[in-house]
Amino acid sequence: MNCESSRHLLPLYFDGELDPAASRAFESHLDGCAACRQALHELETLRARLRDPAARFAAPAALRARLAATAPARPRMRNRPWLALAASWLAAAAVGAGSAGLWQDRQHAVQAQAQLTRDLFAGHWRALAAASPVDVVSTDRHTVKPWFAGKVAESPPVHDFAAQGFPLAGGRIDYAGSARVPVLVYRHGGHLIDVFVLASADPGLPRQAQMRGYGLRTLALGHATAAVVSDMDEAELDRFAQLLAQGETAAPAR
Amino acid sequence: MDATDPRGLVGELALRQLDAAYNLARWLLGNDADAGDAVHDAFVRALQSAHTYAGGNARAWWLTIVRHCCFARLKERSDGRRFVAIDQLAADLGEAAVQRILPKSAADGPEQGAASAQERARLHRQLHELPPEYREVLVLREIEELSYREIAEMLSIPIGTVMSRLSRGRERLLHALRADAARSGERP
Ligand SMILES: [Zn+2]
Repeated sequence: MNCESSRHLLPLYFDGELDPAASRAFESHLDGCAACRQALHELETLRARLRDPAARFAAPAALRARLAATAPARPRMRNRPWLALAASWLAAAAVGAGSAGLWQDRQHAVQAQAQLTRDLFAGHWRALAAASPVDVVSTDRHTVKPWFAGKVAESPPVHDFAAQGFPLAGGRIDYAGSARVPVLVYRHGGHLIDVFVLASADPGLPRQAQMRGYGLRTLALGHATAAVVSDMDEAELDRFAQLLAQGETAAPAR
Repeated sequence: MDATDPRGLVGELALRQLDAAYNLARWLLGNDADAGDAVHDAFVRALQSAHTYAGGNARAWWLTIVRHCCFARLKERSDGRRFVAIDQLAADLGEAAVQRILPKSAADGPEQGAASAQERARLHRQLHELPPEYREVLVLREIEELSYREIAEMLSIPIGTVMSRLSRGRERLLHALRADAARSGERP
């Protein structure tokens, strides 16, 4: 790849719009090309300045109050709409996945899978709608891990990925079916990331799923399974899932 | 209210993404009064059309409505109703005025924050001076973090056009900031 042909790929690489193979090819050019590295650095600097929260216009409190006052009245249980909607979306997804003529047990498996997927999306939406998405607020994994002890059968491994742009925000307990599961909460820019840690090595979840702009990734975490739910874009979701999988193989620094 | 009423969901979404909506409107319209009104219009409209939401990225769906309401306002403006764009006013009055109207910390800076407030003011002015089609994709991509596909759908333009506008917009903004910094003899 020469410099001219790779230069037009630079913004695509920078914006995460290249597929993994093309990204790797571009990176190998980047290793040997100071001019492209400089250009990439300029784009990064510009983005950092534009993304500076202090440079962003925030909605005035008066506007927020005015809109909140005209918003439809919440039903008695404030989280119901999320759950109900999640249920209806998932029902639609399950219908799509389980076309007629399947074996009965396959149907059951599909339904169980859809049910669990629904629980995870619903858990995430419920957390977003709640006053705080975390029960324990901490960026320190040494605080988060012991917090789970006694609340769930097994405390999940906790890693911080702040250096990679995904700082730990805390943790909470949520439900998947009738099981209480630990949830690790991370942030990425304005996005919230939930990591549900399921005790089973094969909970029967799809490797990935998408719903209304929210994505799910499932990965093995030792003998457990991690289900990641967030509205980050697909590339970022994949990157985070990969970090999480690697974080498990690398021994946690004590 | 019916628990499955999609308006409840849309209301929650819009309030959760209110800063994104306001930031976009503010950049498209150039002043607080119009931006607030456009977001208010968008909120009403989003609730009315909640049942038409057919899936996909909810944030992009909401921002598309905000954008429509901004353009409706711009049209109203050009149809004769006169608004004074605060940014325009500030450009006429100079840097000091720009800093007074900038969001948050820009104006409150004790001397430590002064340099960065000035830097921010410069960035704001240069971004504001970009042609609107470049400014818009920069705000959507760099600040609101939408993907090429989401921007293309929002603006009803091909992805290739998103890419070229984004590239040109970045180029022009970088160039303007460099020239600006060179003029004032500071680092960019
Ligand atoms: Zn090169």
